[in-house]
Amino acid sequence: MVRAKVVIRNLTGLHLRPAGVLCNKAILYKSRIQFQTNTTTANAKSVLSVLGACVKSGDEIEFICEGEDEQEALDSMIKVVEDGLGE
Amino acid sequence: MFKGTNASAGIGIGKAAVIKEVEMVIRPDKVANAQAEVERFRDALSETVARTKALAEDLATKVGEKEAEIMQGHLMLLLDPMMTGEIENGITGDSVCSEYAIETVCTTYADMFASMDDELMQQRATDMRDIKTRMQQVLQGIKPVDIAALPAGSIIVAKDLTPSMTAGINPANVTGIVTELGGKTSHSAILARALEIPAVVAVNGVMDQIKEGDSIVLDGSEGVVIVGPTDVELAEYTAKRDVFLQEKKDLERFIGMPTVTKDGVHIELVANIGNPEDVTKVLQYDGEGVGLFRTEFLFMDRTSMPTEEEQFEAYKKVAVGLSGKPVIIRTLDIGGDKEIPYMGLKKDENPFLGYRAIRLCLDRKEDIYRPQLRALLRASAFGGIKIMIPMITCIDEIREAKALIEEVKRELDQKGIAYNKEIQVGIMVETAAASLMADVFAKEVDFFSIGTNDLTQYTMSVDRGNEKISYLYSTFNPAVLRSIRNIIRCGREAGIMVGMCGEAASDPMMIPLLLAFGLNEFSMSASAILKSRKMITEYSAEDLEAVAEKAMSFTTAKEVEAYMKEFVNQ
Repeated sequence: MVRAKVVIRNLTGLHLRPAGVLCNKAILYKSRIQFQTNTTTANAKSVLSVLGACVKSGDEIEFICEGEDEQEALDSMIKVVEDGLGE
Repeated sequence: MFKGTNASAGIGIGKAAVIKEVEMVIRPDKVANAQAEVERFRDALSETVARTKALAEDLATKVGEKEAEIMQGHLMLLLDPMMTGEIENGITGDSVCSEYAIETVCTTYADMFASMDDELMQQRATDMRDIKTRMQQVLQGIKPVDIAALPAGSIIVAKDLTPSMTAGINPANVTGIVTELGGKTSHSAILARALEIPAVVAVNGVMDQIKEGDSIVLDGSEGVVIVGPTDVELAEYTAKRDVFLQEKKDLERFIGMPTVTKDGVHIELVANIGNPEDVTKVLQYDGEGVGLFRTEFLFMDRTSMPTEEEQFEAYKKVAVGLSGKPVIIRTLDIGGDKEIPYMGLKKDENPFLGYRAIRLCLDRKEDIYRPQLRALLRASAFGGIKIMIPMITCIDEIREAKALIEEVKRELDQKGIAYNKEIQVGIMVETAAASLMADVFAKEVDFFSIGTNDLTQYTMSVDRGNEKISYLYSTFNPAVLRSIRNIIRCGREAGIMVGMCGEAASDPMMIPLLLAFGLNEFSMSASAILKSRKMITEYSAEDLEAVAEKAMSFTTAKEVEAYMKEFVNQ
């Protein structure tokens, strides 16, 4: 299991479109990919779960990946968030 | 006559097409073979996905990629593994029919979104209910209402339009939309505006009182719906519609035209914006840049200070979006009229005369002003950014802010970070003190922008929110006009640009005076730009001097207003 923190930078936070970009990236990996906020844990492969976490711009989230391609998955998730999730 | 919310401008005349969804009764019916029921659900899901994809493609070609995003969003929700997993678990766990499992799961999510303290998230509740109904319709073999097949001259009357229904609208045949529910920012209202179909939403009781085929007139600008109009009303609204369409066509001619007066004076016609998303509107209405970008949105509705990086991204987005056109960004203009706990800002006893804007920023250089200035300077490498300082009252404030900007520039130089070394720094002229000192301040800054809302408030010592004294709040008051004329004159004498970003800049009665005074730049809400361009090109600045002189000879606001009204209407 590997984990890393990242801050959400895009202005609208994790709304539908950026959440979709995040999930589309996550489903490319076999590992279980989750992220934690101060209040909850979300499944990065489910757009509903991501939306339900209600993450706003400036919030810090921690990705937790577990599985055969976990390191690759983690690096990729951090990068997609840092790149602004398509915004 | 019904009154509702004006959701999309224009006049619609036609026959009512009442849209009623077939009511579905969803019961927890048991199924014998749960595995077969799961298969039934999966088939229905893929059919719903296919239909949604078709709608999305249709919408993308008919309206645009941006509007199709609503349907793309539905696709993401439909394909969500968590939701489909829960529905399948519901079917196998309780041996209930797919319709009921869908009802339970989707309603739970819709309720979750509806309870969130965020308007964008609350809209997702509508999406969840929409996809729920569509999956259930497929299961029940109910054909969705075919809005695409409505005949020409139809006025859609519905309880509410779901995004998928709106997506099927053929704008050539639908001349108006009336709904019982909804608001200005609901999906259907946004799409109606994108399709330029007149719409009135939130009209109480229409579903009970309007019958299929009823003759209807609606005014989407005023939010009025008339059922069974008299001949007189029909004639009146037909004329109104023709005027509306003609005006729209007239204004569209001004897209791409330069803003020049008859006697050859070039005017910069720019927009006021409140967030980076507004850039689309500026481009749509052919704004020549941004005359005021309010940065407060970055600091509101949150629990911590926005980082330099976040601000940089927002400023850069606007600069890039306007590809080199001027973008005047106003530094934080916030004070004790708003309570911002993370900033330690308390409600001020007298907020508009209190600790706010530049006063606050210079007192909080390290945590507020320096990061904002750094972000602005860094973003200036990407476009035509100019920095504007609000609420200046004395020269020390200008000097102190400029010294800080120079300090930040040196830091960036040391680190080799790019920025526009020639970046212009200007001030809002909106206090009585700044107006009286305008000749002196003009020598210290690169431009002025007159904030007429505050200038009127401070000059007249009138709280603009207080109804009882609203008669004092008029920009046409001779004291305010003298102040404006003086500011413009001082700016011109010093050879700097003078703009205006208050409401007065787009007031048809004020524009002739401002042209006569010699204002260089007019900044207004994007939707007022074309109308103002038309007006400006019809005047000669030289001819207006006599008008201004006459206007300035009056001693009361009423006289000035009456005179200008007469002048504009002749």
